[in-house]
Amino acid sequence: MLEEKKPMETIETEIPMGTVHPAALEPYRVRFFVEDEIVKEAEITVGVNHRGIERIMEGLPVEKANALTEKICGICSNAHVWNSVRTAEMGLEISIPERASYIRIIMGELERLHSHFLYLAHGCEVLGHETFSMRVFYLREAIMDLLHMIGGNRVQYGCSIIGGVRPRCDLDQSKIEKLLNSLKSVEEGLSGFADRFTSDSILMSRIEGIGLIPQKQALKLEVTGPTLRATGVAKDLRTTMPEYENFDFNIITQEGGDVKSNLLMRVLEAFESIKIIRQAVDELPSGAVIDRSWKMVDCEPIHSYIEVPRGTLYHSYALEDGRIRGSIIRTPSMTNIGAMQYACIGDHITDAQLSIVQCDPCFTCTDRAVEIIRR
Amino acid sequence: MSYITALYSILAVILTVVLCFIVSTLLPGIERKYVHARIQQRIGPPVTSPGIMAPIKFYFKENITPNSPLPNLYKALPIVCFIVVLIILIILTPQAYAIPSIASIIAIVGLLKVEEICYVLMGALSKSVMSLNMPFPDLVKGAAHLDSERSFIEDLSSKRALRLISYGSFPLYLAIFTPVAITGSIFLQDIVIYQQINGPFLFTLSGAIAAIVFFLGYMILLNEYPFAILKTKADVIEGPYMEYASKYRSIVFITRGFLMFTLGALFSVLFIGIPPNIFSWGILVNIIVALIFPVLMGIFSAFSPVFTNRQFYPVVIGASLLGILAIVVGLL
Repeated sequence: MLEEKKPMETIETEIPMGTVHPAALEPYRVRFFVEDEIVKEAEITVGVNHRGIERIMEGLPVEKANALTEKICGICSNAHVWNSVRTAEMGLEISIPERASYIRIIMGELERLHSHFLYLAHGCEVLGHETFSMRVFYLREAIMDLLHMIGGNRVQYGCSIIGGVRPRCDLDQSKIEKLLNSLKSVEEGLSGFADRFTSDSILMSRIEGIGLIPQKQALKLEVTGPTLRATGVAKDLRTTMPEYENFDFNIITQEGGDVKSNLLMRVLEAFESIKIIRQAVDELPSGAVIDRSWKMVDCEPIHSYIEVPRGTLYHSYALEDGRIRGSIIRTPSMTNIGAMQYACIGDHITDAQLSIVQCDPCFTCTDRAVEIIRR
Repeated sequence: MSYITALYSILAVILTVVLCFIVSTLLPGIERKYVHARIQQRIGPPVTSPGIMAPIKFYFKENITPNSPLPNLYKALPIVCFIVVLIILIILTPQAYAIPSIASIIAIVGLLKVEEICYVLMGALSKSVMSLNMPFPDLVKGAAHLDSERSFIEDLSSKRALRLISYGSFPLYLAIFTPVAITGSIFLQDIVIYQQINGPFLFTLSGAIAAIVFFLGYMILLNEYPFAILKTKADVIEGPYMEYASKYRSIVFITRGFLMFTLGALFSVLFIGIPPNIFSWGILVNIIVALIFPVLMGIFSAFSPVFTNRQFYPVVIGASLLGILAIVVGLL
């Protein structure tokens, strides 16, 4: 896995960090093998936050199980419930009202914005630049207000349900006006931040060439999402999702594969998300937001992949008498762990946490029993 | 008569130190409340919180037993640091100039080195739960380097403290020696008298350059961002101070504020020629300088990320070269 950078000689010093560390948003353990403060190898261990969500879902009524998936993650809660509901809808062959699909996309993109802003703020904090971190948090606050306005909560909105979205998440004219006004101010704020950020030469010297993941290695490690796109691979599942086929947006890529590319990647993706939301609002179809005329039937395991802020999210389960069977959930961070370990190699230990953070880890969602099948 | 003079001097020193101590408790709060918080558009803590209220709170907290091979020495080190800073401030008062062998640049540099060595010892004598000891064995995955020696983040900060001693504090000491190069004397009394006759060094070319270098050295010694390599949140967290709790943490907090003031007073003596003396209006200059330094430091730290070796080395080399230039200009 680490064949390009891996040193073969004996490494004398190990510096473990965690499971609790202020540079990490979540509990995880990382062991850095260092020589003169330069990381030669890193090993990430998760497992202290295992909740057994899939096991709990087993045998639950599908509506309850869908609500439970929202608890997997505090940052991309909407993505989990969306994909879980989408899995059921694929199995039950339900076509949802177009207005509901648009509202799901608005929520999904707002969630992408708040997740990317959290990423940027956390990245700046790990860099030691609290001022930039605070400024991004202020931008994020406007997005959190919008999510609260539409979903009724700052997190765990409970927006998607089988057949559409909850009627309370429907958008009326006053909500649309507030949404557009807030997006305008967020866009201006983000432009200002991006200008300041890229023109700060000290900051650039800290992030250029740090946490390098070459494109070849990223593909080999099955990296997904913005972390993959930051290495120059134009792969975004939204281009293949039928929900997004009416929307015009660009797949943002960067060439560097380092911390700078990853940070800029999120900034540029945030602009694209704003663009998508504007399109969704402008072309928001009229009509109902939910179709309750579906019927429960049994179905074989269904596989659903969607593009969430961190990459590809996979949900799969079968339905039997309206209950979940054989639930499998794979979060993007699961596939990105290899890249996180790889990214640290060759950097100063102060940059090591930054190299992990650049891959936007969400270990609490990832913390599940894993069976590795060797082929 | 001499008895009364001695008593007067002792009283002056005590009152000066008390006043300086009171002002010093406000400095961390001023930096955080009126600089960091204002720049970051947030309310910030009460101005008395970081410098005095937090130490009072910590003082009455329950203590923890540090995981240290020499716990008593580990616990004594903050007290040593505080005493060192106190002695430096006493040396700076004009009453101490009566004993020239003590009131000299060499004594101040030596005491500052003791302060720096304390950081090395603090890191070397502590092994917190943040890295070394886990409640469960965490060798489960079996990395490629199973036989590697397990180090810990305080140890890392200790090694960095050694690096600071070996090269990081060069700028500060070069700046301190610039007045020596100009006056040709290591005694504080001579430096002060020279400036009272010829005007402050700050307004000369070499003095101005040395003042800039002194400020950089001040930030490095105080371990403030961007030079906070001893306590970077991204890796070593609190570094040498990690396991200090209760009254020991309280002393750490108080010492930091006191060191901020003392270095400001040192600047006043070396570059303006005004020593801290409660019976002179000059003490206002000391207080103003002590206030300006944290404000400037807060502005710098709020707008820059933490440095790694890639940025730290060039800055230290550049500042050291400037310091050498200041000395050379001073000698000429």
